[in-house]
Amino acid sequence: MQTKILLDEEQMPKKWYNIQADLPTPLDPPLHPQTKKPIGPDDLAAIFPMELIKQEVSTQRSIDIPADVQDVLRLWRPSPLYRAHRLEKHLKTPAKIYYKWEGVSPAGSHKPNTSVPQAYYNMKQGVERLATETGAGQWGSALAFATMLYGLKCTIYMVRSSYTQKPYRKSMMQVWGAECIPSPSTTTKSGQAMLAKDPETPGSLGMAISEAVEDAASHSNTNYSLGSVLNHVCLHQTVMGLEAREQLAMVDDYPDVVIGCVGGGSNFAGISFPFAGDKLTGKHRDTDLIGVEPASCPTLTKGLYTYDLADEAGYTPLLKMFTLGHDFVPPSIHAGGLRYHGDSPIVSRLVHDGVMRGISYHQSEVFDAAQTFSRTEGIIVAPETSHAVKGAIDEALKCKKSGEKKTILFNCSGHGNFDMSAYDAYYAGTLVDYEYPDELIKESLARIPKVP
Amino acid sequence: MRQIGFLVNPFAGMGGAVGLKGTDGLLEEAKKRGAVPLAPARALAALRLLRGSDIHFLTCSGSMGEDEMKEAGITTYSVEYKAPEMTGADDTRNACRIFLGHAVDAIVFCGGDGTARDVYDIVGTHVSVLGIPAGVKMYSGVFAITPAAAAEILNTAGEVGVRDAEVVDVDEEAYRHGHLRTTLYGYARTPYIPERVASSKQVFEQPDEERAKAEIAQFIAEVIDGTPEVLTLLGPGTTTAKIAQVLGIKKTLLGFDAIRGRELVAADLNEGGILALINDEKKWRLIISIIGSQGFVLGRGTQQVSADIIRKTGIKNIIVVATPYKLSHTPVLYIDTGDSALNASFGDHIQVISGYRIAQRKRLFQPDY
Repeated sequence: MQTKILLDEEQMPKKWYNIQADLPTPLDPPLHPQTKKPIGPDDLAAIFPMELIKQEVSTQRSIDIPADVQDVLRLWRPSPLYRAHRLEKHLKTPAKIYYKWEGVSPAGSHKPNTSVPQAYYNMKQGVERLATETGAGQWGSALAFATMLYGLKCTIYMVRSSYTQKPYRKSMMQVWGAECIPSPSTTTKSGQAMLAKDPETPGSLGMAISEAVEDAASHSNTNYSLGSVLNHVCLHQTVMGLEAREQLAMVDDYPDVVIGCVGGGSNFAGISFPFAGDKLTGKHRDTDLIGVEPASCPTLTKGLYTYDLADEAGYTPLLKMFTLGHDFVPPSIHAGGLRYHGDSPIVSRLVHDGVMRGISYHQSEVFDAAQTFSRTEGIIVAPETSHAVKGAIDEALKCKKSGEKKTILFNCSGHGNFDMSAYDAYYAGTLVDYEYPDELIKESLARIPKVP
Repeated sequence: MRQIGFLVNPFAGMGGAVGLKGTDGLLEEAKKRGAVPLAPARALAALRLLRGSDIHFLTCSGSMGEDEMKEAGITTYSVEYKAPEMTGADDTRNACRIFLGHAVDAIVFCGGDGTARDVYDIVGTHVSVLGIPAGVKMYSGVFAITPAAAAEILNTAGEVGVRDAEVVDVDEEAYRHGHLRTTLYGYARTPYIPERVASSKQVFEQPDEERAKAEIAQFIAEVIDGTPEVLTLLGPGTTTAKIAQVLGIKKTLLGFDAIRGRELVAADLNEGGILALINDEKKWRLIISIIGSQGFVLGRGTQQVSADIIRKTGIKNIIVVATPYKLSHTPVLYIDTGDSALNASFGDHIQVISGYRIAQRKRLFQPDY
């Protein structure tokens, strides 16, 4: 009874999979926030290195992973694929549950899969410093790790509610030499404006993005780095799905269901795009690809598919995506990394086209699932990851009812070792189940900038 | 030094122990049945937990306060009201008048809903009011959960906030016959310690009450602005009053007012008035807040909204609003429309708007009494 399915280092993917090559029609282009016209590479050059801009718009199916980046990724990759025998037994399900375990990275999550290449390309272009935002701190710590490797400075705007909730993520960033500032802050104009509007705001990813973009745009030695949403970020994360597909092939299996949690979408993209590609190209037409999001921030399930800003202040291009409105400040749930108003344009497009689908859960039920997982498989997962765990358990329970022997794969994207206060709240019975009152909010979405 | 008015209704709670479900007007009967005073001991329990001596108490003679002060070893007090041996509602009111005349910072009383009502009659919202629970019924929101909690609030000077708290009037006669009929009597101001769930260095803080109300009001005002054709019936409460304020409408605090867009259509409607109004409407909605410390969504303090009106309105057109603080103190909400089938149709959970574009999912119970 094999539990861990492992690849050798030589089997680590040498190329990322670019799903843009397999989309039936091209993505709707990002638009300039003022002119509402499609943006070109020059518009992005102020804050991104050219290699990443090229990847953002590339339709080439496979893109080489630089050898230097592969060297770093080998510190923890290929990551293990686990067969969740104990969870299956506990659930009494005929389904087979596999999980890709990304908590083995130095930062404890899947985020270094993209922070490393992003830091690398910026270093190659002579950039001295990166500015970014972070929600729960997973991304911030991952970029701090990557910039340290390549000798770059790093400034991280951390959503204020997480800054106070998760002090140890901040400590990790410090260990790796980065500067961490609670957002909104007084160091940027957009932060000052947000604080003037609401001095007590818990902050949001949208606000923190504005600050980081402003920082990058106003310092010539500084570029911006984004931990999710964008096409190149999803591209870098495909190493997870590519490895998982190989690992499943080693045990002669292929998933019927692929599950990941969704905040900005790159985690789900990373695990699912190689399988979505198989679906789009007709190799496996019936795979069910499920993105799990919080009921308090249900972008895919209750948002509108339209052009919206990626940030609060309006510095970013307009992206065609599922959105709850760029001025929506999601409630301070423990899964801080899933508190984002929008979603990856590619994931959004695939959900809109019915290739993938979204589901949502309340906070307390995902912690129920996380507890079940910890008590069977041992790993204490991050609150974000617990959404995927809940999705996988529910699919397995459906199989128990129907008797189907489906193969379920989910991305176990990070450990929750710095999230114990969230578990404390769960055991104290003080978790609040937030909801998004979508019917009432429909009118408010009229504020989204109109695109001619 | 803080000046705090302090009074005890020594007979509060006596009826409960002997099955009278309240003591109002039945003190003699309670005594006959062997009831002994409970409130002095509850007051004493709170007073004994007070730390420091930055409070000067103004109190009443005998068992209305002075006796408890002495027994607790408190020396910083003055007797400002001479109470008769047999005290009653008038003594509570008279003492409060005198406290206000001395410009006290707050009034602390020990009693039940009846005492709360008597205090509120005189004090209104002039100063904050805190109840040490000792009554048979404590549906009003001015009570601390326990005498110890009341002491903690008094000990936490400078860090407490002030929130609105319903004063609820219970029909004791009906209650003795098994029917809980409560009427919203008014809104007092009560001190409270903002919620903190602290574990090691990690602290979550709730927004304060005024900010939370403003957020809810802003959101609902946007909804109303976005649907100017829909008639909105705004229920009682300070959160719904805040909604009206954002819309530039003056609302009755305890009544149901009808508005359309930013226009007041009718104020302080009773059941008949509401029925007459919605009879000609194509689309309307009800916006209600949670009433009382027991978490009633409908049925207690909202008698204007009958089961008939709820049925005609439809559950999906009922919007419930409440601040996070209120929700954190009412883990379960209740629906009591008087019609058990209608109660059941609300299901197990209800969505409550608790912030700007934010709602909470709360468990819902239908009481079986």
